[in-house]
Order: sequence, then C-alpha cells, then structure tokens
Amino acid sequence: MNKPQCSIVQLSRIGLVSALILLLAPLEVFAHGIDISAMPVNAIEITALYDSGQPMAGGQVAIYAPDEPLEPWLTGTCDEEGRFIFAPDYSRPGLWEIQVRLAGHGDLIRFEVTEAGSISAGEPAGLSLLQKIVMALVVGWGAVGTALFFSRRNS
Amino acid sequence: MSKDWGLLSFFFIVLLALFFVAGCSAEQVVEDELPVEEEADETGVLIFTADGEEFIREGFVCKDGWALTFEHAYLTLASIAAFQTDPPFDTDRGWEFEDLVRVRVDLAGVHTVDLADPEAKPVVVGEATAAPAGRYNALYWELVRAPGGPAEGFAVLLIGTAAKDGKTIEFSLGLDRAVALLGGEYVGDERKGVLTPGGSADVEMTFHFDHLFGDYGEDPDHDINLNALGFGPLAALAVDGVLEVSLSDLEGRLTEEDLDLLVAVMTHLAHVGEGHTLAAFLD
Repeated sequence: MNKPQCSIVQLSRIGLVSALILLLAPLEVFAHGIDISAMPVNAIEITALYDSGQPMAGGQVAIYAPDEPLEPWLTGTCDEEGRFIFAPDYSRPGLWEIQVRLAGHGDLIRFEVTEAGSISAGEPAGLSLLQKIVMALVVGWGAVGTALFFSRRNS
Repeated sequence: MSKDWGLLSFFFIVLLALFFVAGCSAEQVVEDELPVEEEADETGVLIFTADGEEFIREGFVCKDGWALTFEHAYLTLASIAAFQTDPPFDTDRGWEFEDLVRVRVDLAGVHTVDLADPEAKPVVVGEATAAPAGRYNALYWELVRAPGGPAEGFAVLLIGTAAKDGKTIEFSLGLDRAVALLGGEYVGDERKGVLTPGGSADVEMTFHFDHLFGDYGEDPDHDINLNALGFGPLAALAVDGVLEVSLSDLEGRLTEEDLDLLVAVMTHLAHVGEGHTLAAFLD
C-alpha cells in the first residue's frame, strides 16, 4: 500500500518548520500592517474669528489650488479655537484660496506659492497705487538725502 | 549744510503727508471713475442674480421669537457691474480698486426684484450675453429707491406677517436710503463667476435678512443677534395688528439705539454669497 500517510508526528514536524520560517521572516509579511512615518513640512495655520473675536469653531474650510478654482483641493474643519493647519502642494505655484464658512457666514483669504516653492503673502491690503508711488518717492528722497549727507562729509 | 538738511526734511515731511492723505482718500466711493469694459475675443453669458436665501423665501423665527413670513421682499438694484480683477479684489483694500480691474461688464438699468418669490432661487436680474470669459471676482451695485412700481420710494420694502404667542401683525417695512455696495469673490458652497468661452456663469448679489431680524436658532450672544434689531421693537409700534413704517418715519418712534441698529443693518445686509461687502450711504 503506497497510500500517503500523514501522521501526527509528521504534522508536528511540518508545524515546527513552519513556525520557524514564520519567526525568521521579516515583519512586513503580516497582512494589515501599518507603516507611519513623520517628517517636518512647511505648514500654514489659519485662525478664523468673527469680528467680535469669537472663534469660528467648527468652521468649514475649503482650500482651492490655483490651477483648479472650481473644486476644493482640500476640505476640513476648524477646531474649537477656529484654527486649521495644512501644508499646500508646493509643486502648484500661484494664488491659493482659503474659504472658511459657518452657518451662512464666511470669508476668503489668499496666499501665494512661488515658483521656488515658498509661500508669500498676497498684495498688502489698503495700499493704493498712489500710496505706493508716494512710498517709492519717500524712499527715493531718503536715499538722495543720505547720499548728499555723505558727499558733504567727504568734501 | 544745515540749510540742505532743512530742505530735505521739508520734502520728506511733505511726501509723508501725501502718503497719509492718499490712504484716507481710499474710503471714498469711486463709481464715477470705474474703467470702461475691455475688448475680448472669447465671450460667454454672464448672469446677474439676487438672492434673499431661505430666510426670505421660507420665513424664519427671528431673535426675539417672532415667526416671520414674507409675501414680498422688493429690492431695487442699479448701477450693477461685475469685474475681473488681478490681483483679486479684497474688501480689506477699501473702495479704491480701479488699478486692479482688467474687465468690466455692466448691467444697465434699474431693477426691482422680489426675493420672496418661492420659485426664484435666486432671482435673475439680467444678463450680459457677450461678456469676456474669465473670472469675475468683484461686484458693485447700488440699492436705490424704486422710481415706480409696487416698491416706489423704497430701496428695500418687506411685506409680510409676524406671529408670536397667538398675536399676529401684518407688516410693511420700507427702507428708503440708497446704499453703494462693493464685494469681492463669491463665498459659498459652490464657486461662482468663472466664465468659460461659450459658457455661462452667474454673479450673485446676496442679502442676509437675519442681519436685520436676528436668528432664534443662534445663541443670543452670537454676533448675528447682538447686531440685529429683531422684530420686537417694531411690533411695539403696530396698531390693531398692522404695522406700516419706513426708516425715515421711525425717528423718534424707535429708541435711538434701535434706530442706529436699523440704519447700520442697511450697510451689512448685502453680501456676495457669504462674503461681506463694503457699503456706503449715497444720501
């Protein structure tokens, strides 16, 4: 009779070998393994407040990338202090928009990701063209005055 | 040498003074100086709409518990213009924004709309059929006294019913001051104002009537209720269940504090979606 037989001893030997293989194998073979890594990034923290200073706790945040103005790139919710932190995609330069809304009230702010991959604030609010021209003239006069001062001292 | 320094200092002070004067002038209304529309090869349909949201269409309970329903909410709009601005206009900048304007599209005429129409979500005020494609991110308009029709003499005329504790008041509240308004990009659950060639887009003048009456559903200490009049002070003026008043004849009938609130509401009633606007009385 050449009928294959499988005894308890054989099964035990097979089990022992299998157990040794499993113990020696790297941990990655387990299904549902989780690999968490962390690295520092340049993030943006926003704080949304009502005019009274009351935080927009639970405010709905929608962030729009410059090349896709109609669909949010990221959505989220402000914490109890009205804060929300995120890191934009630095490979998408241009003007990004952050919209925060809550119960029918909202606002929108912008920031720029430069070609070099850094963040710069948008155009300073409240400065008109005339103000900028006058500001440039003031700086110019300051430079002229400084030059005259030193030229007089040297002479 | 001291003479040169004095002269330089004088010019420096003059320039600084000019700087601050330029800053102060940024608060003025500039509608007469807005640039003209630019030419563009690719166009679409730009639709101008107005919305009073569910507050007006469906009614709501205001901050002092009066349940308000509106039969009509007439608003009269004029001098409407949408702009493509670059960099995008922000209301923090103030009224002076013409240096940002790349494209301007006007909607001519004076338009009285009824925001209480339950089918109007929102009301179409008018459209420009050959508007240059692009992103419309600034909107100017005026609330003006209606020259005729059902709301004649009023910029805003609210007609409806208020009910509380078994008491009912039929009311007509008219606001008869003209206001200039300037808003930036639409803020809401969808984006508006992005016009593609051959397509259509809408820009919306939005009115938040919870700013006038407050919202019972919000905390009493919430901004929206602290800055709202409510209906109680008006209800106290009703005679035999009827209230028919206008802003101009409420002086002396409302407390000074309540009258100030009502006047102030006219400047923060209008929005672009949920985004605030600049507002200035025209008279």
